[in-house]
Amino acid sequence: MKIIEAIDVNAYYGENHALTNINIEIKENTVTAFIGPSGCGKTTFLRMMNRMNDYVEGFRKEGTLLIDGKDVYRKKVKLEELRQHVGMVFQRPNPFPKSIFENVAYGLRIRGVGNKKEIEERVEKSLKKAALWSEVKDSLHKSAYSLSGGQQQRLCIARTLAVKPSIILMDEPASALDPLSTSKIEELIAELKQQYTIVIVTHNMQQASRISDHTAFFYLGSLIEFDKTNVIFTNPANKQTENYITGRFG
Amino acid sequence: MVTLDIELKALKENLLEMLDLVKDQLVKGKKALENSDENLAKEVVEREKRVNALELAIDKDCENILALHTPVATDLRFVLATIKICGDLESIGDITKGLARFIEKNSKKSSLQLSDRFKIGDMIDGCITMLEDMGEAIRKEDTLLAQKISKKDSVLNEINKNAPKVAAELIKDHPEKLEVILKLFTITRKLERIGDFIKNIAGEVVFHIEARVLKHGKDKERG
Amino acid sequence: MSNATVNRAIDLLFKYTGIFCTLSALVILAIFLINIVSEGLSRIDWQFISSLPSRKAERAGILTAWTGTVWILSLTAIISIPFGVSAGIYLEEYGRKNRLASIVEVNIANLAGVPSIIYGLLGLEIFVRILNFGGSLLAGSFTLALLILPIIIVATREALKAVPKTLREASYGIGATKWQTIWYQVLPAASGGILTGIILALSRAVGETAPLIVIGALAYVPFVPTNPMDEFTVMPMQIFNWISRPQHEFLVNGAAAIIILLLITFIMNGIAIYLRNKWQKKINW
Repeated sequence: MKIIEAIDVNAYYGENHALTNINIEIKENTVTAFIGPSGCGKTTFLRMMNRMNDYVEGFRKEGTLLIDGKDVYRKKVKLEELRQHVGMVFQRPNPFPKSIFENVAYGLRIRGVGNKKEIEERVEKSLKKAALWSEVKDSLHKSAYSLSGGQQQRLCIARTLAVKPSIILMDEPASALDPLSTSKIEELIAELKQQYTIVIVTHNMQQASRISDHTAFFYLGSLIEFDKTNVIFTNPANKQTENYITGRFG
Repeated sequence: MVTLDIELKALKENLLEMLDLVKDQLVKGKKALENSDENLAKEVVEREKRVNALELAIDKDCENILALHTPVATDLRFVLATIKICGDLESIGDITKGLARFIEKNSKKSSLQLSDRFKIGDMIDGCITMLEDMGEAIRKEDTLLAQKISKKDSVLNEINKNAPKVAAELIKDHPEKLEVILKLFTITRKLERIGDFIKNIAGEVVFHIEARVLKHGKDKERG
Repeated sequence: MSNATVNRAIDLLFKYTGIFCTLSALVILAIFLINIVSEGLSRIDWQFISSLPSRKAERAGILTAWTGTVWILSLTAIISIPFGVSAGIYLEEYGRKNRLASIVEVNIANLAGVPSIIYGLLGLEIFVRILNFGGSLLAGSFTLALLILPIIIVATREALKAVPKTLREASYGIGATKWQTIWYQVLPAASGGILTGIILALSRAVGETAPLIVIGALAYVPFVPTNPMDEFTVMPMQIFNWISRPQHEFLVNGAAAIIILLLITFIMNGIAIYLRNKWQKKINW
């Protein structure tokens, strides 16, 4: 069942034509990796899915982007609902300057969840799902900044999980982390895929090959190739794709 | 568990499945020979397709693992060893198919009894035991067991060395069965080669576990 | 002489020039402080602080002056803080960043530099005459509020600007509305900076004399103000009044009052610096 669908999507930052005629279908409960050299448009496309590009001056789009069959850019869309449904984890861990508990509870509180017990349960559940609970359960009141980089990123994942999304967007989530933390995050992604649909932008091709089911290769704003990951990495159809993954350019 | 571990585990199981299948082919082959059973021989010929299919699948899996997970160290050696081992197993399967074809064509004639003189049954037994040991060695990652292979292989070599003499005698006594005798002679040579293939497999197991290269008489630690 | 030697010489020259300038400024300040303290410290006692002004120097005290200062400070704070912070939030977070916005930004900064007596004249016309507040605390605090409003607005905007984009992104990404993001994340994160700005603005207001003179604060107020419509005086005015008298005792009074005023200013600035340091430690982007 396709959960994300792009039809002839184009995107512009002012005069800069950032995305050209993107057509793609992403299925439920899969991990899809977006790869490509810097400036190829993969992050732009990712951020269209939860409309984070709205905050960039001069951004406009053409074409249709559907999530669960509904146009993300339709007039009556409620951004708060969209972003509850489509969560995002950013490149540098960006926990709020609050306690660990409050970080995860934030998404619930702003939606009016008032019941103390419910909040506590959902915070615990999310921290468990993000494989962080055992490390922080005795210090939930401590500042989020007392955690290491890898832990902070897992906290950000827990924060996203707390509002029960179905899609999780990840924008190079491990690029600022050390190898051990990175591998923990990758293990987490492998587990989360059973319940969520994950789209991850990454510069690290080994990471893409390790954790994704499908890979999309972007170049200069176009989607060059999109296929099962094991096909892309053993026998890509497009010469440009092959040049990129063998490191001959980009 | 890292995804790579899951993949490697599955690969090992597939390899052992192929090994068991090839061994089973030899067992059936021997039975077909003893009982001059044409139908059993036909079965073995058919089943060779399955052996080939397994080789292709294992090769593909190895390619995927190398491309997607870029394994290093022991994991890398395991994948490289597996590629070679399954090639060796396929060659063994091929030879077994040849033997089964021969049995199929000559089952009605009494010439199969001549195979006793060549001790072909003993040779096949030797191969089967060696394969069983190899399966054990792979399963338990036991390099000592793997290296004991050479002793058993020498038994095959002995029998094989004797073969020309036996052939000469038989041709003298039964010149009308020249073709069959020559074919049986070829089979002993091929069975001896199975022993060699299994010795290769043993070498790959040692390479995987200990990073030592046994072939071509070199026994050096690889860096 | 090689290049390296010349450069090193210039380096040393600059270093010593800097030390000289710094020391000169400190020495002058020290001279001033020592002078004042030696003149006025002895005069400070409970009687001084709690007495009404008088024609007799020994009996004159700063009670009305410092209560007036406290009143002015409080009222100015109550008026200017909500307006200033809200305006700062609106301009920084909600305003569209176009040419008009930059003109507004420049002009607000300019307003902070307008001589305070002009504010006094403005206050005289609008608050004292048109709105008929008279020469009261209310007129004075509205006038001072106008004076320090630009400072608060600029400080608020700077504090909000310092909050990194990633924090807002995280909040929006979770599905918070703009207002929720500002109220629950941006403002708390900027609060240290805003508070620092407010305190600095208020400590400026403490020392302002000219506009208050213009709107009619009196020099001789023999009663403690009890409501916003009362007439009043403030510390700087009292000081000015005393040091204009020929008698030496009044000069001593003036010195004593200056010490008190300096104390108030130092304490307020000290609080501002402490808060700013505390805030900077808490938020490590």
